[in-house]
Amino acid sequence: MSDNASGFWAKLKRPSTKYSLLGLLSVGFISGIFFWGGFNTAMEATNTLEFCISCHEMKDNVYQEYKTTIHYSNRTGVRAYCSDCHVPKDWGHKMMRKIQASKEVYGKITGVIDTPEKFEGHRLEMATREWDRMKKSDSRECRNCHSFGAMDIEKQKLRASKMHKIGQDEKKTCIDCHKGIAHKKPKGMKEDDDE
Amino acid sequence: MKKTTVSFAVLGALFAFGSQLAHAAPDWSKVPKRDIQVFHAGVTPIEWVMKKSDHSGRTGLTKGESCVGCHEEKGGLNFDMKRLAGKDLEPKGAPKTMNFPVAVQAAYDKDNAYIRLSFKAPTGGADASDKENDVKVAVMFANDKVTAAAGDKSVAGALVGCWATCHADARSMPGADDKKTKYTKDGAYELMQWKSAKGAKAVDGSVTDKRNMEGGTTGVKADGENKGGTYTVTFTRKLNGALAEGKAAPFGFAVHADHASGRFHHVSMGYTIGFGADGDIKATKQ
Repeated sequence: MSDNASGFWAKLKRPSTKYSLLGLLSVGFISGIFFWGGFNTAMEATNTLEFCISCHEMKDNVYQEYKTTIHYSNRTGVRAYCSDCHVPKDWGHKMMRKIQASKEVYGKITGVIDTPEKFEGHRLEMATREWDRMKKSDSRECRNCHSFGAMDIEKQKLRASKMHKIGQDEKKTCIDCHKGIAHKKPKGMKEDDDE
Repeated sequence: MKKTTVSFAVLGALFAFGSQLAHAAPDWSKVPKRDIQVFHAGVTPIEWVMKKSDHSGRTGLTKGESCVGCHEEKGGLNFDMKRLAGKDLEPKGAPKTMNFPVAVQAAYDKDNAYIRLSFKAPTGGADASDKENDVKVAVMFANDKVTAAAGDKSVAGALVGCWATCHADARSMPGADDKKTKYTKDGAYELMQWKSAKGAKAVDGSVTDKRNMEGGTTGVKADGENKGGTYTVTFTRKLNGALAEGKAAPFGFAVHADHASGRFHHVSMGYTIGFGADGDIKATKQ
C-alpha cells in the first residue's frame, strides 16, 4: 500500500476540497438510484422466459413440456413464466435464490444435464429439490397468484372442489397434490403413504 | 279319456300358465331409464388408482368418497380424457370412441331380478382379438366382503365398482401373464355376461381369486338383439346371493365392443342397485 500523497486511495480518503458535501451526496444519491435500478434490471432480466430458455437444457426439455399445460395457455390468457413459480418474488428470498443459482451456472459450464439422457437421469433429483423447496415455503410461489380465499369453490368442477375442500381441511399445501402441473413427472417418485 | 286324466291335464296346464305369469318379463316401457356413461379405462388398474403420484384422487377414496362422487357430474363424466387416451395410460392406442352412454333399466319380482342395458356400440376399437363376438356385455355384483388395498389402508369395495378385480398383472395388461385372469383379494363378485355370437350361452359365473366363467348359482338368462347398431341386452337372474329384497348391491358393467377382448372394454364406474331399497338405480317392483 503506497502512502503517496497523490495516490488513488489517498485521494479518496482525503476530504474534498473542490466539491460541496451536498453536491457529493446528491451525485452519490442519484447515481445510487441508477446503479440500483441497473442492478435490479439486470437481475429481472435473469427472470425472463427468454433468459431461462437461452440454455438448451431448459428449452428442449421442461419448456416444451410446460407449453402443453394450463400455466402456459388457458381460457383467461394469464400466463405464468418460469420465474413466477421458481423464483421468489420478495427481495430477501429472491437474492438467496439468485446466489444459489450460481451452482446452476457451474452445472451449465460442466454440462451436467446437457443431453436428453443426462436430463432424464437427473429429473427425479431436480424435481424433488423443487418440490421440497415449495413444500418448505408452503407453496409460496403458487400463492403469488392462487389462494383458497380467492377460490370460488362453487364454480369449480366436483373433482376439484372436493379435493380442495379436503386440502383445506387437512391443511395441505398446493404442491402436495399438484406435482406435475407444469412439467412431466419423473419416474421413481417416492410414495408418501400419509393418507 | 278317464275323468281324472283330463282333470290332471287341465290342472297341469293351469299351473304351467300360472308360473309363466309369475315370472313374466317386465313391461320395459314402464321401467325408468338411467343413462350411465361407460369409458375406455386403459391401463388404470386398482394399483394405479391407489397410487397418489398417479392418481391424487386416491385421497378421496380413503376418505370414503366413491369414484362417482368426483368423476360424474350432471350425468356426464369428468375425467382428463386427454390423459386417459394418451400413450402413458393406453400404450396400444385409444379407441375412436372414448366413452358412450348406456341406458340402464332394472326391475324385480319375488324371485328374479331383470336388468336391461341398451346402447349404440361404437366401432373403431383398438383391439379386435375376439373373432367370434362382435359385442359382449358383462355385469358384476359385489358382495359386502370386497375391499381394495390402499397402502396399509383398506377401501370398501362398494366405492370402487369392479376395480377391485382389475389388477396390473391380469392378462392383456402390459407385461402380464396371459393366463392370469381378473381376481379379487377379498370377497367375491357375481358375474353375468351376454355374448353376441349366435347360440352363445349366457355366462353365470363369479370372480374370486380368479375369474370363473361358470359355476354361478344365479340362474342367469341373457337375451340380446341388435337393431341397426343399437344393442338391447336383457339379463334375468335369481334374486339371491348378492341381491336381495330390501338391499342395495354395488355393481358395475362393461361393454366389449367391436370384437374387443381383455382390458379393451368400456367400463362403468361403481354404482348401487336397490331392490326395494335406495340406490343409484332403483329397480321397479313388478
